[in-house]
Amino acid sequence: MSAGYIDELHDSFRSDLVYRSEDIPLECSPKPKEMEQTLHGVMKLNGLVIRSLEEIAGRGANAVTYRAGKKFGHEVAKYFQKREDVEGALHELSDLLRGQYSFEVWKPEDKETFIIEENGETFIYLVFHDCIVRQTLRRNGLEQGGPLCQTLFGYVVGAIEEITGRKAKLEIVHTGPNACLKKLVLK
Amino acid sequence: MDIRVDTDACVGCGLCVKDCPMHVYELQNNVSVPVRPNNCMGCLSCHEICPAQALEHRGIYAARRHYIDIKVCEMLKKVI
Repeated sequence: MSAGYIDELHDSFRSDLVYRSEDIPLECSPKPKEMEQTLHGVMKLNGLVIRSLEEIAGRGANAVTYRAGKKFGHEVAKYFQKREDVEGALHELSDLLRGQYSFEVWKPEDKETFIIEENGETFIYLVFHDCIVRQTLRRNGLEQGGPLCQTLFGYVVGAIEEITGRKAKLEIVHTGPNACLKKLVLK
Repeated sequence: MDIRVDTDACVGCGLCVKDCPMHVYELQNNVSVPVRPNNCMGCLSCHEICPAQALEHRGIYAARRHYIDIKVCEMLKKVI
């Protein structure tokens, strides 16, 4: 390695910037467009981790990722206002997930209310539009509905349980390239 | 939701009918017809699966796509 290259390398990590300990960064740097390589790198890495986990742990991978997501959901939602109504909890949840996921409460046209009771089950359909999991899976050419989706399931269930104090379960009804339909089963 | 099917392009394979979880489509005279458009939640699986690219959805929310490579898109724009 030549000395010239090392000096050049050192120079690239030096600046005239004065950084004080009280300086609070108020915006991301660099700009999001310049972060594209980083974002793709993270998505690629996540995809590879999940693929390897699935290869080694098989179906057990789902349990691991679900558990991780659920812990995260509980952790994040514990700072939110506790409420008993599911509608309010979903509103809190959409605030929680903003920027990573966006979803709406949905119902087929033959149903009158969003809270559906069928075959002794009470559930709500959720359509997830923006989803970082879907982006990652499609970036890596992986199938949707696998272990990485379980992190989102755990996240939603954990957050709902934390906010409402009720047990919940999330099921995949359908996955698509633009949106996914999930069923939030309330217990 | 406004769903349109290009009846000249549709080959009547019925893949959209089978794939749609909300039974939005039905095959009528070997052409797919969106009989329950209000049941569509905009997943666009039917677009992905249609071999004839005969479908069109209007008024749909397009999810953010972070996985598209900006450099590849810039190259494509130059070509197309």
